Amino acid sequence: MAELTARQRAAQRSPLEWVVDRVWRFFCSVRAAIYEIAILAVMVLAGTLRGSSVPEKIAEWFPFTRSIVDRWYDWDVFHSLPFTFMLALLSVAIAICTINRAPAIWRTIRFPTVTTTRGFLNGAEHSAEITHSVPASELSGAIQAALRQRRYRVLTATQGDEIHIYADQNRYAKLGTFPFHLALILILIGGIVGARYGFRENEFVIPEGATREVGHGTGLSVKLERFVDSWREDGTPQDYRSDLVIYENGKEVKRGTTRVNHPLTHGSLTFYQTSFGQAIALRIKDAEGRVVFDDAIPVGLYTSRTNPDAPAGLQQLPHVGKQINLITPAPTSALPEAGTIDLQSGEIFVQVRSLGPNADSSQMPPTAILRQGDIVELDGLQIEFIREKRFTLLQVASNPGMPIFWTAAIMMVGGLAITLYFPHRRIRGIVTALPDGTSSVKLAPLAKRDWSGQRNFFRVVGDLEAKLGVRAFVRGRPEHLEQAARA
Amino acid sequence: MEGLVKLSFYSFTAASIALGAALVCYVVYAAGRIRLRQASLATSTGTTMTTTTAEFAPGPAAAGRFGTLLAWFALVFQGLAVLLRTIAAGRGPYSNMYEFSLAFIFAVLLVYLVFERLYEIKQLGPIVLAVAFGMSLYVWSLPTRMREVEGLNPALQNQPLMTVHVSTAILAYATFAVAFAAAVLYLIASRRQTRWLPSPDMLDDIGYRAVTIGFPMLALVLILGSIWAHQAWGSYWSWDPKETSALFTWLIYGIYLHTRSLRGWRGTRSAVILLIGFAAVIFTYYGNYFFGGMHAYGGVD
Repeated sequence: MAELTARQRAAQRSPLEWVVDRVWRFFCSVRAAIYEIAILAVMVLAGTLRGSSVPEKIAEWFPFTRSIVDRWYDWDVFHSLPFTFMLALLSVAIAICTINRAPAIWRTIRFPTVTTTRGFLNGAEHSAEITHSVPASELSGAIQAALRQRRYRVLTATQGDEIHIYADQNRYAKLGTFPFHLALILILIGGIVGARYGFRENEFVIPEGATREVGHGTGLSVKLERFVDSWREDGTPQDYRSDLVIYENGKEVKRGTTRVNHPLTHGSLTFYQTSFGQAIALRIKDAEGRVVFDDAIPVGLYTSRTNPDAPAGLQQLPHVGKQINLITPAPTSALPEAGTIDLQSGEIFVQVRSLGPNADSSQMPPTAILRQGDIVELDGLQIEFIREKRFTLLQVASNPGMPIFWTAAIMMVGGLAITLYFPHRRIRGIVTALPDGTSSVKLAPLAKRDWSGQRNFFRVVGDLEAKLGVRAFVRGRPEHLEQAARA
Repeated sequence: MEGLVKLSFYSFTAASIALGAALVCYVVYAAGRIRLRQASLATSTGTTMTTTTAEFAPGPAAAGRFGTLLAWFALVFQGLAVLLRTIAAGRGPYSNMYEFSLAFIFAVLLVYLVFERLYEIKQLGPIVLAVAFGMSLYVWSLPTRMREVEGLNPALQNQPLMTVHVSTAILAYATFAVAFAAAVLYLIASRRQTRWLPSPDMLDDIGYRAVTIGFPMLALVLILGSIWAHQAWGSYWSWDPKETSALFTWLIYGIYLHTRSLRGWRGTRSAVILLIGFAAVIFTYYGNYFFGGMHAYGGVD
């Protein structure tokens, strides 16, 4: 049966095969990749400029762009669907492009074509020709020895009275491209895993001496033993840290310190020091004398409408249907403005609101001003102001993508180093036996416009000249190597 | 303490002067002579027309030797300035634009002189040293209060990570400056028959070598940066302007490498990518001026 031509084979393909082929080729195309990166570039620029005053300036200069600029400020580029789509497209392209190259790379490493043609050798911009009085086999042996000395692998094939030589260096380094590109994809996977299976609690507040549950199915709780801060003379913060104890199902499992830049980790959980503030320790009993609250309420995370400068806090007590509102004195001792609650240093303002549908909003909730040690009865609750404390504000995050990320980082740098610092170098040549018993060889590197590959080739040639005691007829040898050869 | 800071500044002054002098020497060496060529043409009316064309020619070799000597001088003094500053502050000199630029000038000189030795050519000097000298002038233009050593913001207090992250970034940028110079010279050398420039192939190779050093370094900068971000800000990646534009710079050099290895691009097209890449480097370097963001530790308002 006659061989099918490429055109006939193409005609016989099913539509599905045709589509798969086109899609595959789209993803392999360097041109498409450049467009993808260019589109991403524009998006990144738009997303970056969004954080600056540049769009505002544009709107000032060209008033007709105002509506576009407003939409620009509203568009959260990096979390938008088109951006995610472009990133996904690029990663698929990286994956397919890399896979596509695999067979050819493997062939070059394992089964390179040993034979070459006169056409290649004569057409090469850089080449060397040596004629010597020894027989072909001896000349071939000398060449192979010279190449091996420069760490080349040498393969030969005999065709008639010609010996074809193929030599290469660092062939396995070509594989370095795979860990590198895999690492790029792993980093994206790590990000997705982290976002999907991890969690982040940005406002995890613990007053000194108190214990809080981490939640999210971890079974962990954390106690703040102590909070320490230090300041420089000029009033800038120098350091602050929290001494923490971690309990798992009530048992202590870890004790440690978290400070800015030095988070505390436990398993996949990480505790970051974010901020700190003041807390008010209260003991609250109900009408029957049962303790319903014995803990501290952080102040400063909220502000009240009446005293906007003052740190305020609130605590819901759902089992008694009440909410406690607190206001502490404002840090600046300005004169109290009209309508604000006048608080002296050391005093706190307490208000008890009723929660739930039965709450009567027409009545003013009962209030009181307390000093440390005071006990007051408000709305059936007995409230005791124990003392002032401090709280720490932590960020708690669990990121199961972390090991993937680390693996990717190592693969990436390693793969890059291998690919870039161990270039695959190749030299081809033909040794010919001449009728009078002598022989000649012509060698050429596969180093078109590869300056350092060419230099390496001429070093091999220089070795050979020194070894055989002859001068090669060379083409394209750089001047300084030519001088070295003459010397 | 005060004394060391002063001494560091004097060192930097000496380095700036040496750098300026070296730049002049390199320019003289590379294109110091302008050769005039006269051509006479006899016209049909019997008169002769004389035209004069000018072309650059290499200056005296001594200028090159002086240039190199002065550049080493500048390197030593710049290194001293960085070292004294480091001792005075008790940490790497990376907390504001003044300190960071001191280190950057040192890195540019270092990388340049290494390349000069490896390739035995001095023609990159005028361009690379112009970048370094420009940076030097920029340092002089900074407000003097930045010359004082200040305590670090708690978010920056991470000695090993900060030192490695920032010094790798500086070295990467410095290699890209060399690649940029090679690209500029390539574009000239490939368009004109000149005797004052090295072969275009060699310039192409210098650009490539520089990127092969800078690209993995920038990858390391991004990785270390995101590890640090994870520790200090609680997230690997925040699309902060500086990290985003560093990533972008890295992608541009990634395109450069891929078009070379997969598409066999060389010469002009490669050189153009290197120019774009260096523009991105400059954008990244000064990015915190325009956009604020979480890298806004520069100390310049």
